[in-house]
Amino acid sequence: MSTEEKSAAPRSLAEALRVRDDVSLAALLRSRPDLVTPVPTDLTQLATRAGTRASVVRALERLDRFALQTAQALAVAADPAPYEELLGLMAGDEGDPAVTAALPRAVALLREQALVWGADDRLRLVRTARELLAPSPQHPSPTGLGPTVREATAGMSPGRIQEILAAVGLASTHDSVSAVSALGELFADRTRTAALLAALPGESREVLDRLVWGPPYGQVTHDPAPHLRALLDRGLLLPTAPGTVVLPREVALHLRAGRAHRTPEPVPPPVEAAATHRPQVVDATAAGQALAALATVEELLKEWDEGGPAVLRAGGLSVRDLKRTAVALDVPEPVAAFWVELAYAAGLVASDGEADERYAATPAYDEWRELPPAERWARLAESWLTATRTSGLVGGRDAKDRTLSALGPNLDRSAAPEVRHRVLALLAGLPEGAAPDAESVLARLRWERPLRGPQREQGEQREDDLRSRLARWTLTEAELLGVTGRGALAAPGRALIGAPEPAHPAAQPEPVGPGDKLPVHHHRAPLAPAPVTPAERGAATAAAARLLAPLFPEPLDHVLLQADLTAVAPGPLERELADVLGVLADVESKGGATVYRFTPGSVRRALDAGRTAADLHAFLSRHSRTPVPQPLTYLIDDVARRHGRLRVGAASAYVRCDDDATLDEILADKRATGLGLRRLAPTVLAAQTDPAALLDGLRAMGFAPAAESAAGDVLIARADARRTPPRAAPEPVPDGPPVPDDTLLTAAIRAIRAGDLASTAPRKPGHADGADGGPAVGGELPRTSAAETLATVQAAVLTGEALWIGYVNAEGAASQRVIAPIRVEGGFVTAYDHTADEVRTYPLHRITGVAELADDAP
Amino acid sequence: MNGPLIVQSDKTLLLEVDHEQAGDCRRAIAPFAELERAPEHIHTYRVTPLGLWNARAAGHDAEQVVDALVEYSRYPVPHALLVDIAETMDRYGRLTLSKHPAHGLVLTTTDRPVLEEVLKSKRIAPLVGARIDPDTVAVHPSERGQIKQTLLKLGWPAEDLAGYVDGEAHPIELAEDGWALRPYQKQAVENFWHGGSGVVVLPCGAGKTLVGAGSMAQAKSTTLILVTNTVSARQWKHELVKRTSLTEDEIGEYSGTKKEIRPVTIATYQVLTTRRKGVYPHLELFDSRDWGLIVYDEVHLLPAPVFKFTADLQARRRLGLTATLVREDGRESDVFSLIGPKRFDAPWKEIEAQGYIAPADCVEVRVNLTDSERLAYATAEAEEKYRFCATTDTKRKVTEAIVRRFAGQQILVIGQYIDQLDELGEHLGAPVIKGDTSNAQREKLFESFRQGEISVLVVSKVANFSIDLPEATVAIQVSGTFGSRQEEAQRLGRVLRPKADGHQAHFYSVVARDTLDQDFAAHRQRFLAEQGYAYRIVDADELLTES
Repeated sequence: MSTEEKSAAPRSLAEALRVRDDVSLAALLRSRPDLVTPVPTDLTQLATRAGTRASVVRALERLDRFALQTAQALAVAADPAPYEELLGLMAGDEGDPAVTAALPRAVALLREQALVWGADDRLRLVRTARELLAPSPQHPSPTGLGPTVREATAGMSPGRIQEILAAVGLASTHDSVSAVSALGELFADRTRTAALLAALPGESREVLDRLVWGPPYGQVTHDPAPHLRALLDRGLLLPTAPGTVVLPREVALHLRAGRAHRTPEPVPPPVEAAATHRPQVVDATAAGQALAALATVEELLKEWDEGGPAVLRAGGLSVRDLKRTAVALDVPEPVAAFWVELAYAAGLVASDGEADERYAATPAYDEWRELPPAERWARLAESWLTATRTSGLVGGRDAKDRTLSALGPNLDRSAAPEVRHRVLALLAGLPEGAAPDAESVLARLRWERPLRGPQREQGEQREDDLRSRLARWTLTEAELLGVTGRGALAAPGRALIGAPEPAHPAAQPEPVGPGDKLPVHHHRAPLAPAPVTPAERGAATAAAARLLAPLFPEPLDHVLLQADLTAVAPGPLERELADVLGVLADVESKGGATVYRFTPGSVRRALDAGRTAADLHAFLSRHSRTPVPQPLTYLIDDVARRHGRLRVGAASAYVRCDDDATLDEILADKRATGLGLRRLAPTVLAAQTDPAALLDGLRAMGFAPAAESAAGDVLIARADARRTPPRAAPEPVPDGPPVPDDTLLTAAIRAIRAGDLASTAPRKPGHADGADGGPAVGGELPRTSAAETLATVQAAVLTGEALWIGYVNAEGAASQRVIAPIRVEGGFVTAYDHTADEVRTYPLHRITGVAELADDAP
Repeated sequence: MNGPLIVQSDKTLLLEVDHEQAGDCRRAIAPFAELERAPEHIHTYRVTPLGLWNARAAGHDAEQVVDALVEYSRYPVPHALLVDIAETMDRYGRLTLSKHPAHGLVLTTTDRPVLEEVLKSKRIAPLVGARIDPDTVAVHPSERGQIKQTLLKLGWPAEDLAGYVDGEAHPIELAEDGWALRPYQKQAVENFWHGGSGVVVLPCGAGKTLVGAGSMAQAKSTTLILVTNTVSARQWKHELVKRTSLTEDEIGEYSGTKKEIRPVTIATYQVLTTRRKGVYPHLELFDSRDWGLIVYDEVHLLPAPVFKFTADLQARRRLGLTATLVREDGRESDVFSLIGPKRFDAPWKEIEAQGYIAPADCVEVRVNLTDSERLAYATAEAEEKYRFCATTDTKRKVTEAIVRRFAGQQILVIGQYIDQLDELGEHLGAPVIKGDTSNAQREKLFESFRQGEISVLVVSKVANFSIDLPEATVAIQVSGTFGSRQEEAQRLGRVLRPKADGHQAHFYSVVARDTLDQDFAAHRQRFLAEQGYAYRIVDADELLTES
């Protein structure tokens, strides 16, 4: 629509894109990836796609607050608007250095995103964005501005406009259009409007003050008070609907000293440090926590080693199992959910897929366990950073009011990795050792994505939008995991997100001057996760592990044994030692150190695991710095003495005899080898064969054994007849099929007759295929053309004659039928089928051909 | 980072005793952490909300606590724990109990929502009166103890600024002629007096009576002393006359036989809890005088009715004395909330190292049951089982052997079952003191034991507590009250009085192997093991063949 003398100026977004260079186009496509799927054929198509509502909404949602405010201001400015007008709207009449400094960056960003195009003297917001952002009664703009004078007077009678012109002292003109623009110009003129307002009574000005920052609509009665009347007369309030008035945009801007936003926010709110610790303390604390994280994950999976919790039918962990896990780990439930989800995200735990589905450690867990501790941690931290699963949601309810369970469905939030990364990046922006004030982090995130959040999770408070919750969870989880220590980002955590050395506070790139021509790129650090390629990711993870490794304490090879039957490991233990001790004693307290308590039960457990008392003594004296306390030695000996004193085994039968010699004889007999006999005591043999076989075997060897009941009585083997349990007599199996009854016979005959009629009925010769000559031979399907079929059938309807047809059913089986058509419509024939003896419907296209029956047919 | 302390995530603190900074660290954490176990290498302290609040009450703040932990910790202190400590300590002092000139006892708050929260509680409602202003509510004066206890349970401990009544003044001085309070006793008295009320925990034989006397000399007011039995009452009286300016006439005994009420009155728990027609007639004793100080000896034995009554005595200074604040009924926390927090606690081994209690050699003698005894034990009724194994015949032989070995020394044989004791007395030719022995007879026997006229004494559980037998050097325990930890400790305490010649004490516990007796013994020994007394285990056969 713009026809200008400046030939160089682009006339459309497509043209604007056309003159952009490749780098700049690449920047656009990178920030709006939805534009490249699928790849557009040309720039016109790209421009069209960039103007679609969905794509624009997406782009707007990704703007920071100031860029969004700029776009909102453009939406209320003229179209096209010169840069100066935009600056005026953003900075106000008095000007604002911060805004002046930040605006070029915002405009450049909007240009890069193809939301704004045109040179600085003709800035245009793409139409869809303008529609989305411009104020309308249904969608009040965040600027709180109302419609322009022109828009508001659109439906007004020319006479009324003349009255207003007269009231404000403008020359009357009969042309409504010029009258309205004159009025608009008047309101846009600060001096004249000031004079106009000064003449108003104070009450009137109060009314305006109430409306100035929006919403700009007000209610008036049918007969307004004089101070309202004065405003209406002068067009300072314009009626929009009966009883409703609006403050025109020009007037509001005048009252706001030209500003579109009450508080423009050109500078991102800084992330404040709440406390600063020595970097060494931060790293050490984080390392301690990292170690605890490893221990917790291992403990969790050890807990599930022998049959983890069952998988709910809907997927996930039941509330009770989560509670149990929390108790076992000695942490609150949300924290337990975090660990469970972490192990899951890291691929260390999964459902076993059996019929009775349970969670269990994966083979990857065994590999993971073999890694050095720092790498184990790095694996966990990386999985956490990139996972879309969010444990913070566990225990909440989804949109359908179903409880969200740990490991269950619907826990994925696509924003999670980005928010986690961003939060850590913000932390990385603080000086080393500084712990952020959580609120300032949240404020910063909200500034960066003002439109994300409330719109996404409806019905929640602004403070509780998803991104803020994700950010809060990130801070807690980072602390649990040891990415941060005492709230500040630790060195390994810094490496993990690929951040460079402790950075200088949020270095924003140089602002771009307003005179700069498009396109501008790379004006600020991208918000998307920095290391994107797997290689970069891997390098960052490896770097984190490298930094963490020296922070971990060396594993110890000894414990302190005490006379109160406890052992204290004053630090992390070597794995083998920890494993054995974990069986031999109960863990009483965990943390930097581990306290173990020896109990008869725990010692028995070790003996059950195949260790001997001597083993255990040797093990303890090898790993104890101090002499093994005597009570502990006694405890082990006591338990060992009683361990295994009772023996349990399975036998199928036994032989007992008061005479040892007889039993010796049996054992010595070769024929007894098959009986699986073992001497349990001088007078008892145990056998692996069942009693009957044993009796037979012994009898075969010439003995005369007697059977014994469970109570020890001799069973008398009387020559009783053997009986089965109750059994039913067998059903007779007849030789041929049963004799049919009358009904069946009647039906059968009718069917046979009908089939017979169909195949043998003499037909009239078809007229179409006269060339072939002669009537169709019996048994062959009639063939006629579709038109002929239709004609014949229609004729048959009129005459009421029966026809012989060939028919192919839906399965492709061909048959012949004799039908009396009743009606033909919609490609179907409804007819009385003589063959089936009922009325049926046949699709015409399935009828291969028709033939009239000879007149002597029934 | 190479400190002596390891801070565990379950809020226990492990202190490596042999570390060079261990002493400094112990002093730094003592105000807020409770010593839970003190075996030979690593001592375990526990940080509890109660301990943290007591530290707050004593003027420490969260910053100091956190500093102490961070300073001495070998590994980084879990951040969550530090936050938790700060939050817990922050809860203290939001509510205060104080005297209001017009309304009497009032509960005020600096944080209105907290007051609203506690007032909503059903348990608080009956204890408070009218709302005076949004931040203040009146409290029934008689419910001072109750409300403190309840608030503690709700997690909002009240700071008690209402003070104590001075009671009726009565001059009491310590008569330090030729002796002086030991440093730890002084410290205990000081801590107690500074805190107003509370419990002092000292090992048996470490001179708790003198801490009581010292406190009385501080209070200089009429004092009610509650003790476990008459013999103990007499000992207290004797000690007070000897160590203070008090004369015999100033000290009254209130027991089953005598009902004297004097400026200093010593009463037994038994008489206080005597019940007639559903009422406790002697509880009036608490009100009979304007007591300025109430001393509870062996406070771990405080019977339930006295508990109840003590709740009403919150305006009076209360001193609890004990060696073993372990109750098998788990009511330790009631002691703390009603008498007051622990004001002083010293590990046994530390006092031993300073030479104020005798070093002790603890031996568990394992006795094998004979085959017939084993059969009898195996088939005995469940409730008879312990008695069966605890009174096995072999124990008598072992006891005789031990007595023979220590011939010439003062030996106590302690047991639970009278038949067993009678039999032992007969075989050893020693007198037996049991429940039905008259007080006069008991005192006579104890006295001749002290004088060395008799060297072996067989006693039942009547001698568990407060019997001062300085010269006893060997104690042989043949049976006990099941798994009672404090009984074991108290019995060891009988031989811990420092010996004139710096002699070692011997404590023998004779136990039947592979029976309930052994299980109970393991439990009984836990307290002492945690105090660092390592039991040596000896087979009875070895012992018998040796002698």
